[in-house]
Amino acid sequence: MSHYPGAGPTVYDPMTLPSDDNVNAYTFCVELKGSQWFLQKGKMIAYYGSMEFNGVGHGGLDRLVRTSFHSPLHASDWVVAQGSGKMLLADRAFDVNSYDLEDGNLTIRSGNLLAFQPSLALKQSIVPGFLTLIGTGKFVAASNGPVVFMEPPIRVDPQALVGWADCPSPCHHYDHGYMTGVMGGLRALTGLGGASGEEHQFEFVGAGTVLLQSTETLMAEHATGAVPPDAGVPGSGAPHTGPSQVAGAPRLPGQLGDLQRRFGL
Amino acid sequence: MGFREINSKMVEATVVPGQRLFSQRGAMLAYKGEVSFTPNTAGGQGGIMSMIGRRVANEDTPLMTVEGSGTVLFGHGGHHIQVINLSGDTLCVEADRLLAFEGTLQQGTMFLGSQGGVMGMVRGQISGQGLFTTTLKGHGAVAVMAHGGVFEIPITPQRPVHVDPQAYVAHHGDVRNKLSTALGWRDMVGRGSGEAFQLELSGSGAVYVQASEEKL
Repeated sequence: MSHYPGAGPTVYDPMTLPSDDNVNAYTFCVELKGSQWFLQKGKMIAYYGSMEFNGVGHGGLDRLVRTSFHSPLHASDWVVAQGSGKMLLADRAFDVNSYDLEDGNLTIRSGNLLAFQPSLALKQSIVPGFLTLIGTGKFVAASNGPVVFMEPPIRVDPQALVGWADCPSPCHHYDHGYMTGVMGGLRALTGLGGASGEEHQFEFVGAGTVLLQSTETLMAEHATGAVPPDAGVPGSGAPHTGPSQVAGAPRLPGQLGDLQRRFGL
Repeated sequence: MGFREINSKMVEATVVPGQRLFSQRGAMLAYKGEVSFTPNTAGGQGGIMSMIGRRVANEDTPLMTVEGSGTVLFGHGGHHIQVINLSGDTLCVEADRLLAFEGTLQQGTMFLGSQGGVMGMVRGQISGQGLFTTTLKGHGAVAVMAHGGVFEIPITPQRPVHVDPQAYVAHHGDVRNKLSTALGWRDMVGRGSGEAFQLELSGSGAVYVQASEEKL
């Protein structure tokens, strides 16, 4: 497939889409061959092939959930995709990347994790809002801006933290240096001057890797997985209206019924 | 010293003892070493008078002083970051676009009416600068935030540059700016091109433009 500048966007078809790789910086393509992937609700943007998406509570998935999903807190956010085909994942134009774990562990902010292979086990981290993946397999994560990898010892703003791998859980670090001295005393007495906003960090020590995203803005949760609240959409909660009963008007004798709608009258 | 760009949204600064750094409050992402962050009541440099001046001018962005020894990563709000190195000239930028700057730079406030009187004030209103803007002068590096990527356009005496006021980020050098209007009857009836106002910069220096018309 030729791609040169000025040729317009690259057009993909099921054959040319990459398999388990990035399509561009913001989209990831997962290939399913009768296999299963866990993915967070609303992160699938398109798919080729025949797939079904079932909530984690689905009966047929009991065995899978028992082996690789141990986070009841997040159970309603996750679905299992199974079937065969290619599936595109994206999250609000954030940078998307896949990571391979080999008999390792990685903890990640729950909102940043898009999808993972069931060969990994998902568990809740001790740190609230984070999930730990243990085992061998691939997972896909999003970040606002590229992920930066740093090595401990390091202190990180809690909001800029994406996750950490192989190192012990962080501890809180409080910086109270600004409270000392004359100005600090005045500040403590009067409350004037405010805080620098950086008194509290997560401190990482030991061997491992810390993953940072280049912004402190937490990704706002958009309800992308929700069904639009329109009439006639199953699961939307809106009152169900009959096929031809637009605006709830009862059908009068002599009307053309459904034909009317079909011909656009 | 100076800032090292790690990626388009993150810069790394090296802090050494004796050299201060100012940064916007809450813009620190991570740090190594022993670094302290002190809230800066005065909102920058100078004495109590310059603090009052900044308050009046509404250019008193919450700043903090960064001191110690180590490396600090800065980033804020997912905005793109442009590092500008100044060597003796003056940079004009809005205070809330300042992510971090070195303590070697002299911070000041400039009244836009001083450049072209009433038209200067009108220009400030249109470009979202308000009546005042922040100036940084001296030798050192500044990290400026912008929505979308930033590019630098050099200004030479022969070639003035026209910039959309909403896409304007900052400029440095010996630059005069004026607002040029291209208002016509179409704008009056609401069928304008949306580009009725432009910022014309002439002189010698450079202007930084963001690839977006969104304010910070």
